Amino acid sequence: MSVTISVPDGERVPPEIVASVFYSATVSDNLALVVAESVGSRTRLTWGNVGAVELLGYGLDDLRALPVDHLFPTLGGGELKLLLRRERSARMTLPVRTASGATIEAVVTTTPAPTGRMWTIRIVSTTSEQERALRATADAHERRFSTLTERSPVPTLLSEQGMRLAHVNDAFCTLVGRQAEQLLGTGWIETVHEDDLDGVIEQVSAALDGEEVETQARLLREDGSVRTTVIRFAHLFTPGVGAGFVGTIEDITDRLAFEAQLAHQANHDPLTGLPNRTLLAQYVAARFTPGSSGLACLFLDLDNFKVVNDSLGHTAGDELLTEVADRLAAAVRPGDLVARFGGDEFVVVCENVDQAAAVALAERISVELARPVRLGGVDVRPYASVGVTVQTVEHVTAEELIRDCDIAMYQAKAGGKGRITVLDQRAREEARDKLRLVAELRDAIERREITLLYQPIFSTADGSPVAVESLARWNHADRGAISPAVFIPLAEESGLIAGLGLLVLDETCRQLAEWDRLMGWAAPARANVNVSALQLDQNLPPQVGEALERHGLDPSRISIEITESALMKDPDSAREVLHQLRELGVELAIDDFGTGYSSLAYLRHLPVNCLKVDRSFVAELAHGHTEIPSAVIALASSLGLSTVAEGVETPEQAAELTRMGVTYLQGFSLSQPLTGGHAAAWFAAHGDRTR
Amino acid sequence: MTVTPLPARAEQTPVFDLEKVLASIDTMAAQRPVAAQIVSVANQDDTSAKELSRILASDVALASRVMKLANSAYFGMRGRVTSLQFAVTVVGFTTVRTMATVALTELDDESRLPEDFWDVTTSLALASSALAPRFGERPQDALCIGLLAQMGAALLHHNDPVGYAEVTAEHADFTQRRVAELRRYGINSLRLTAVALEQWGFPHSMTSRLNQVDDFTSLEGGLLRSAFEVAARLTVEDYDTVPVVRLSCGQLREDDLVPVLDQVRADADELRRAMLAD
Repeated sequence: MSVTISVPDGERVPPEIVASVFYSATVSDNLALVVAESVGSRTRLTWGNVGAVELLGYGLDDLRALPVDHLFPTLGGGELKLLLRRERSARMTLPVRTASGATIEAVVTTTPAPTGRMWTIRIVSTTSEQERALRATADAHERRFSTLTERSPVPTLLSEQGMRLAHVNDAFCTLVGRQAEQLLGTGWIETVHEDDLDGVIEQVSAALDGEEVETQARLLREDGSVRTTVIRFAHLFTPGVGAGFVGTIEDITDRLAFEAQLAHQANHDPLTGLPNRTLLAQYVAARFTPGSSGLACLFLDLDNFKVVNDSLGHTAGDELLTEVADRLAAAVRPGDLVARFGGDEFVVVCENVDQAAAVALAERISVELARPVRLGGVDVRPYASVGVTVQTVEHVTAEELIRDCDIAMYQAKAGGKGRITVLDQRAREEARDKLRLVAELRDAIERREITLLYQPIFSTADGSPVAVESLARWNHADRGAISPAVFIPLAEESGLIAGLGLLVLDETCRQLAEWDRLMGWAAPARANVNVSALQLDQNLPPQVGEALERHGLDPSRISIEITESALMKDPDSAREVLHQLRELGVELAIDDFGTGYSSLAYLRHLPVNCLKVDRSFVAELAHGHTEIPSAVIALASSLGLSTVAEGVETPEQAAELTRMGVTYLQGFSLSQPLTGGHAAAWFAAHGDRTR
Repeated sequence: MTVTPLPARAEQTPVFDLEKVLASIDTMAAQRPVAAQIVSVANQDDTSAKELSRILASDVALASRVMKLANSAYFGMRGRVTSLQFAVTVVGFTTVRTMATVALTELDDESRLPEDFWDVTTSLALASSALAPRFGERPQDALCIGLLAQMGAALLHHNDPVGYAEVTAEHADFTQRRVAELRRYGINSLRLTAVALEQWGFPHSMTSRLNQVDDFTSLEGGLLRSAFEVAARLTVEDYDTVPVVRLSCGQLREDDLVPVLDQVRADADELRRAMLAD
């Protein structure tokens, strides 16, 4: 490229212009460069580069004569001065007129020479190919983005600044039922529920700060309805502009409703729609403060429900329950809770009542319930037994309150149907005491404080002791000896029987092994261990096997005693268990025989070795009633079984039973139950190895 | 652009030197270096809120205005903006730059401004922002250009207080006033604003709107033209309204202005307080 610079007479081209010209010329031919000079009142171009010639369409000679204002048609009046400043460079974006008369938009930068009469003018078209392409790409991007969000079914917000929105899509407008114009800027803030707005602003703040966040917020629709949504905010940064966010909204109203429905179903009885036991417990727990008062529970049990169910059918029963639920809900005070506890049991919870008010409510409910209900053409009066408990300082937990009104209801029922009973102090004490005893029994079993006594069993053949029966004893530190008739049913009720049974089995085996070690052949040949009906399952045979193995005993050293009634609970399963025990090699005896109703046919199929004649029949011998013992003994004999007579208290009974042919005798008159140590000494003195 | 012939020089007192006016802006910039620095860095692509707030922190008055504006109803943040950096994020770089420009050109000193300057300016800015979406413009940029539009008028007033007071007294209507300005100074106030802003590197997309206000065929000038109409209706006594359909090239109907007038009235005071707070 050739560079020619016209130099007016007597003046040198300033070096910065030369530098600028050469720099620009080498940078790009696309860059148009002209030099303007002010002579007198006129300013003309004096030079232009190839880029200028190409851009403007003038020949170099024509360009040289051109008045500058001809190039810039929009700079009317004195505005040329704004572009050609004497003291500093200037920059404008404005139309530049070309030789053809057309204008092109360009960024024009002028730099004055120190004289203030000469300027280099750089003209960069803003509509160059490259720029157009870039703008087209940017426009296409923007269009794609807006199409994407516009058509997207996901409600979307695009921020402008802060909480201000520049854009909302149709889906968002539909969600809140408003038009875009109402939502742009800060308009959308009005759609956010007042209580959720702080949270939204907080999350917007975090998003503007560069985080990706989400929040749950309720949005108010134009029609007044409310939608619950999750709004997710993502950070957006535009260079030179600043930070913004994109918000996408998920409407979770229906999902929450569904979840609420599920939660309702989990906590409510499907038949009556009343809160169920779970919700009742939560409700009472939430309102229970230990040491305070005023909370009352009414426990209702329908007296004749079973009759309705059995005689009129379950549909009628359901109808009755629904009717009762409705009547209860109508009878209680506003704010009271009515729950279905289970079956035909209902609980009403009231707050801020004393005992008199609670009883008055119970009476009102009873009257209301007792109105006839027509079921299957029959009028039924649903009487209820009601137990009432008002919270006292003695109630430590919420469950105690419910449990107490349950007890009160049983008392009401026991006293005759259709009654209302307030739980009295004594009943509460008894119930409490029983609970305490269960806890203490659990501890006693864990610490092996349940001890065993051993009562010798004698052979009628030669009067020698042949075995012992293990008898569990509980010597309570405070209460003294507690009868097995008390603690064994208690263990069965409270799920402790398995542990107790294992303890007895293991301790008996241990004692046998110890006797063997101490006494050798003089040790008792066999020990009888009692098993509860609740232990009679598939776990028993392996437990027995393990105990024998643990103490190195032959299975024949153990005889398992099972009551006749235990066998009759589930005969098939019992027989299966007995067979497994026999396979182990242990002996089996049926305890309390004659007190149950076992059929002889069934008995025949049981793999037992021995029948124990119940002590009540033995006692009757004194009154001359010999029929049952003699029949049992004869039966056993004909089936090839041995017999033990329990509770032998006099020598006469022993003689009579021996005469009847009983195999073994056991009783107070023969020997009291002994501790392990005493038994060893006793057997050493009386023993006669008869294994 | 319509070129209005200059009136004969003899009729005018030759008091006005445009170059001097423009030079005076540079002098002002030298006196408020922090504001000048913000004006220059705020539009650079690599500028961050952190960097901008760091610079802003050294001009306490300006920083407090940015904080105040960020917490104003306009941005909906309800007093949540407690750090300067976050304030910059919320109002945006262009707004920070605009506020720096206001400080730079001493538009915050009401004693040196034409009467009603800020009443008109806040109305203009808020109306411009509110109407922007109807013209496909960014409300934020529209707010800024509205805030700065009258800078040229302030400069004219500053350099010729008596003469400019006559012009404003004589021409309550903004369009007519601009014609008078051109006649008297060889340039109208909007054009002067545009030149100054362009000088400071405000994007052409913003400044070009100023140049197109008086071209009634230009849709791009329609936004500011309509905003001036809103401002006039709110601030000029006994104003003869001009149909907004014509001003907006058909983009707006009179009905559209009703909510805008309400909103501008509601927000104007707060914006004014934020812009002029000490």
